[in-house]
Amino acid sequence: MSILSRSELAPRTPRAPEAARGSAVELVGVSRHYDKLRALDDLHLRLEPGELVALLGPSGCGKTTALRILAGFEHADRGLVLVNGREVASVPPQRRDMGMVFQSYSLFPTMSALDNVGFGLRLRGVARNERQRRARELLELVGLAEWVGHFPHQLSGGQAQRVALARALAIEPRVLLLDEPLSALDAKVRVQLREHIRALQQRLGITTLFVTHDQEEALSIADRVGVMRSGRLEQIGTPAEVYTQPATAFVASFVGSVNRLAGTSVNARSVEVLGVRLPIPPGQGDLVASRPVEVLLRPEALRVSADREGRALVTGRAFHGATMRITVRIDAATEVVAALSALEGSLLEAGTAVRLEPVGTPLFVVPGADPEGNP
Amino acid sequence: MAALGAFDVSVRDDRLGGARSVSMTRLGRLRWWRLAILAPAGLFFFVPLIAAVRFCVDTPGGGHSLAAFTSLVGQQGFAPSVWLSLRLAGVALAISLALMVPTAIYVHLRLPRLRRAMDGVTVLPIVIAPIILITGVLSVAPSWLKATPYLLALEYAVLAMPFMYRSLDAGLRAMDLATLVDAARSLGSRWSTTMLRVLVPNLRAAIISGSVLTVALVFGEYTMATLDQYQNFSVWIYVFSQSSAQVSVAASLFGLVLPWALLFAISFLATAKPGRLRRHRVDVTGGERS
Repeated sequence: MSILSRSELAPRTPRAPEAARGSAVELVGVSRHYDKLRALDDLHLRLEPGELVALLGPSGCGKTTALRILAGFEHADRGLVLVNGREVASVPPQRRDMGMVFQSYSLFPTMSALDNVGFGLRLRGVARNERQRRARELLELVGLAEWVGHFPHQLSGGQAQRVALARALAIEPRVLLLDEPLSALDAKVRVQLREHIRALQQRLGITTLFVTHDQEEALSIADRVGVMRSGRLEQIGTPAEVYTQPATAFVASFVGSVNRLAGTSVNARSVEVLGVRLPIPPGQGDLVASRPVEVLLRPEALRVSADREGRALVTGRAFHGATMRITVRIDAATEVVAALSALEGSLLEAGTAVRLEPVGTPLFVVPGADPEGNP
Repeated sequence: MAALGAFDVSVRDDRLGGARSVSMTRLGRLRWWRLAILAPAGLFFFVPLIAAVRFCVDTPGGGHSLAAFTSLVGQQGFAPSVWLSLRLAGVALAISLALMVPTAIYVHLRLPRLRRAMDGVTVLPIVIAPIILITGVLSVAPSWLKATPYLLALEYAVLAMPFMYRSLDAGLRAMDLATLVDAARSLGSRWSTTMLRVLVPNLRAAIISGSVLTVALVFGEYTMATLDQYQNFSVWIYVFSQSSAQVSVAASLFGLVLPWALLFAISFLATAKPGRLRRHRVDVTGGERS
C-alpha cells in the first residue's frame, strides 16, 4: 500500500502554503435558532491547523448544527465563521473546500467506489486518467484497493464509510468534517475505522472536526474534546483534562461514569463525604463552610473492602475484562458503583458487608443551598 | 412477495430436511392462493386481447390471415396519426419532465410540509373534466400555439402530471435525498451538476416509469384530441373503424404493443443493479474485476 504525502495528493491548482498544512477554523459567537428552539447559543470554537477536535454532547445539543454551519449547509443567525482568518459566511458549500463524511452512507448509488472517489476531482476538471489514478491511490490508502469497481450496494457499512472518507479526502479539503461517521457501524468495525481515521488525519495533517455522541470515540480519537450542552460549549480541552478536570457537573457526569454522593463542606477548600475529608478540585471556587454539597466521584476513586462491621452492602457486580464494577448500596436511597481490579472484585460477592472509602480528589463538588437560607 | 416467500421456504427446507413436508404444504397453499388471484386477473386481461387478435386474423372462409396487420402501414392517415402521437408524446414528456423533476426534488428537499398539498394538487387533472382543462389551457395559451397541434402536448403534460409526480415521489422517498445533495455540494458540485449527475441517475427507474405512463397516456388519449380537432392515433383508430373494423382493431393492438415494449424495457432497466449494467465499463477503465 502506497503512502500518499500531501504533495502527492496536491491538486493541480497550487494552494496557499497555510492550506497545505491544515487550516485554522474559528466559530466566533455563533448562534442559530429554529423558531423557538435554540440550537446554538453564542458558540466560540477554534481549531488549530492540523488539529482534530471532537464535539461531544447529547442529541440536540447543537453539535451537528455547528458542523453544518461550518460546512455551509446552514447559516448562522449571528456570529462569524472564519477559515484562516477569512469570513466564509457568504461562500456556498461547494466553494468552501471542506470534505465531509456523513452518518448515513452518502455514497452515490449509481457510481462505483472509484467514480465516487473521483467525483470531486471530476468537478475540478482533473483529467480522467489522473482522476482514476488518484482515486485508486486513495482507495488503497483506506484499504479498499480490491474494491474499486464495486458499487455502494455491494459494500459493507464499514467499507462504504471508508469510501466516503476517501471521497472526502480526494478533493484535498482545507477542513475535514465528520458527522457521526461511525454511528451506524458495529462495535468492532467502529474501533478499527476510528483508528484508521485518526492515523490518516495525522498523516495528512488535515484540520478535522469530528461530531459524535459517543464519549469513548471522542476521547480516543481527538486532540481536544469539546463538550456541548443546549447550544453552548461547556468545556473544551484535551481528553485527559475533560475526563479528570471537568469544568462543570454536566461535563463530569456526561464524560465517563460518575457517582453522586451527599457531603458537607468543611471549609473553603475541603469537603467531607462518607466520613472522609477530601480536598476540592483545584479549578473550583471556594466553598462556604458547613454547607451541604454534592460530591462527584469516579468509580475508580472509591475503594471497597470487605468489612463485617461495614454498613454498606454489595448488591451486584459486572465483569469488564481487566476490571470489575461493584454496585454498593450505602443506604436505602444511595447506590454507588466502584471499579476494582478483576481479582479484587471477584472476592466481593453480592450480600458482602463492605467499607467504602473515597480516595484522591473529587471530580467535582456541587455547592448545595444553605438549609437556613443564608447566601 | 408471495414468490419471495415461497423461495425462502424452499431454501429452509433444504437445510432442515425434516421440516420439508410441512413447508411443502405451506408452499402448496401459497401456490393455490396465487392461482386463485392470478387466474381471474389473467382472464380479465387476456380474453379481450385474444378475442381482438382472433377478430383480426380470422377470415370469413374459416381460415387465418395477417392481412389486417400487414395492410396497417399503408392505410390512409395511419402514418401521420402515429407520427403526430409520437411528436406529442415527445413534447409532452419533455414538458412534464422539465416541470416535474425539479419541482418534486425541490418540494422533497426544501418544502417537505407541502408534500401532502402536492399530492392533492397533482391529482386534479384526473378529477377535472377534460373540457374544463381544455378551456383553461385555451384561455392562457398564446395564439401561435393554438394554431398548432402542440397545444395538445401542453394539455397532455397537465394530464400526465399525476402519473409523473407519483412516480418521482416514490423514487424520491426511496433515497436519502438531503444527504446525497449535501455530499455532492460538499465535493464542489453546483445545483445543476448535482441534479444531472447525482439525482437524475438515482431517479432513473422513477423517471422511466413516469415516462412510459405519459407515453401510454398520450397514445391512448382520445377526448382532448377530438375536442381540439386533431387526428392523433386514437382518433384515427376511431375514424378508421367506420370503414374497416378489422384493421382498426389491428391498429389498437399495435397501440398496445408499443407501450408494452416500453414497459418491458423499464422493468429491465429498473431491476438491473448499477453494478451489473456498468461492470464492463469499470473493468475496461479500472482493470479491476469485481
